[in-house]
Amino acid sequence: MSTQEEILAKLKEAVVEYEEDDCAEAAQEALDEGVDPMVAVMDGLAAGMEEVGVLFDTNEYFVPEVLMCADALYKGLDILRPHITLDTDAPKASVVIGSIQGDVHDIGKNLVKMMFDVAGWDVHDLGRDVPLEDFVKKQLDVKSDVLAMSAMMTTTMMGMKKVIAMVKEKNPDCLIMLGGAPVTRDVANLFGADGYAESAGNAVSEGIKMIGRLREFQKGEIK
Amino acid sequence: MSELTGKQRVQKLFKREPVDTMPCFSGQGAVVIQAIEKMETQFAKIHTDAWLMAESAITSARLFNMDGVVIPYDMAAVAEAMGRGISLYENAEGIIYPTVPNKWKDLDEIDIPKDYMNQGRLPMIDEAFKIIKEEAPDLAVGAWVLGPFTLAGQIMELDILLKGLKKKKDQTAKFLEQVTTVTIDMCKHYQDLGVDFINVREMGSGTDLLSPRMWKTLVGPNLKKVFDSITLVPSVNHICGSTDMIIEMMHECGASALSVDQKNNVVETRKKLGNDVLLFGNFDPYNTLAQLEDVTEVETIIKQCIDSGIDSVWPGCDIWPDIKPANMEAYVRTVREYGKKASPAVGRI
Repeated sequence: MSTQEEILAKLKEAVVEYEEDDCAEAAQEALDEGVDPMVAVMDGLAAGMEEVGVLFDTNEYFVPEVLMCADALYKGLDILRPHITLDTDAPKASVVIGSIQGDVHDIGKNLVKMMFDVAGWDVHDLGRDVPLEDFVKKQLDVKSDVLAMSAMMTTTMMGMKKVIAMVKEKNPDCLIMLGGAPVTRDVANLFGADGYAESAGNAVSEGIKMIGRLREFQKGEIK
Repeated sequence: MSELTGKQRVQKLFKREPVDTMPCFSGQGAVVIQAIEKMETQFAKIHTDAWLMAESAITSARLFNMDGVVIPYDMAAVAEAMGRGISLYENAEGIIYPTVPNKWKDLDEIDIPKDYMNQGRLPMIDEAFKIIKEEAPDLAVGAWVLGPFTLAGQIMELDILLKGLKKKKDQTAKFLEQVTTVTIDMCKHYQDLGVDFINVREMGSGTDLLSPRMWKTLVGPNLKKVFDSITLVPSVNHICGSTDMIIEMMHECGASALSVDQKNNVVETRKKLGNDVLLFGNFDPYNTLAQLEDVTEVETIIKQCIDSGIDSVWPGCDIWPDIKPANMEAYVRTVREYGKKASPAVGRI
């Protein structure tokens, strides 16, 4: 029988070593041994992903490794998530996410989506090559707290500006995140967005840093 | 001394013979919206009609006094010819480049048709090359193809491909070899059409995505085969994104010239490779040509490229078609004037 610390270490290691089966096994063990599933997600899976972020930032891991780590994380998350009890009084945060029309790349988008999944948000993933009006329609339908759009190429990012204008006009409180290789802070500011991540690489770093912040928040280290 | 034509200037550059001034051309898409408007057509239409493709390329070059043209404009043509479909966004507002809607999702599904060269828009693109050569004999005509790794990511899902590099090494390596023969066939085909240079864009292989070790084993050897096959015309090895860690390996692939974007430290690259290597780049085309409000900032960026050791100032990626004309004029003007001094690999007449 493993202790909670040992199970969390197994979850973390399985994510870092991109071992999907080990991750699923450790997640099941966490449930069987009565580990709080939210703790297993945050201090096991998300902690592993944080370490992946460090390995990525130090050029030990590259995008192929990170994608496999994400696959392992999801194996564990799929098992743990149904057992997380929600505070029904508090509204669940939600995000509408997708790659903009003309862009069939979704690696960065999926890594950012993972961050929202880990945090337990309601995620409305519109996929890729999403027509501009579909972002606006969905955001207004579900009144999401965040709208996240990515464009890998300069050639598609101009559509973001139109979506931001349409959404902000009708729902000025919606936070808008932009991501993708051509998106710089200046472009995000120019388009009227509230945040940005520069590339799939930066989406990894930024997304993982956000997971780190969530973990600190969870522990009460951030008020 | 009579002035060189654009074609002559580019040809001399590739031969590293003295030129009157630095040539101004690109191996990335360089069509501009001002040309499309002058022709009273739309961006979505210039990808499917040989005449519109050829004329928009020539008009773009003429409007801004460029030395060459390069077609096609999108990277979906080969995947489309292999039956992966094409999204042209004909009814969408603004500028959206064609994309591939139905990429293969598994290595086991891949079945490259033998006659792809005669499918989709590839024959139309051949026709556009013929028109350009007839209509604009004074301009250098460039063709570009995707490098094997980037082409692989166009015909199959990129995340599956990237994971395959680790999970299914042998099968993925075999697939990349298969795609390499496609890139080689495309290069030979464009050589036979008589283009003046071929730019091989392996843009998805920088170290933003792949480790240098992976590049060395899975990208470099295939690129070398491609450049070995281009024997009749000059070739360019273009990779955008982070290239500092792989620039020496890029050089070993054997292209006539290397092209990098703004992420490359060109001063360091020069130190690594020496002054004999033709080096193109390396400004951010969207920011420089479509965003900056002050043309003196454009001039500064172009001068920095030249001062850092570039032999021809190329945009790091496709020129975003909706450029500011004053910025484009400043780009070309600065290359012409500031480029009168010799560059590291090419002297001046």
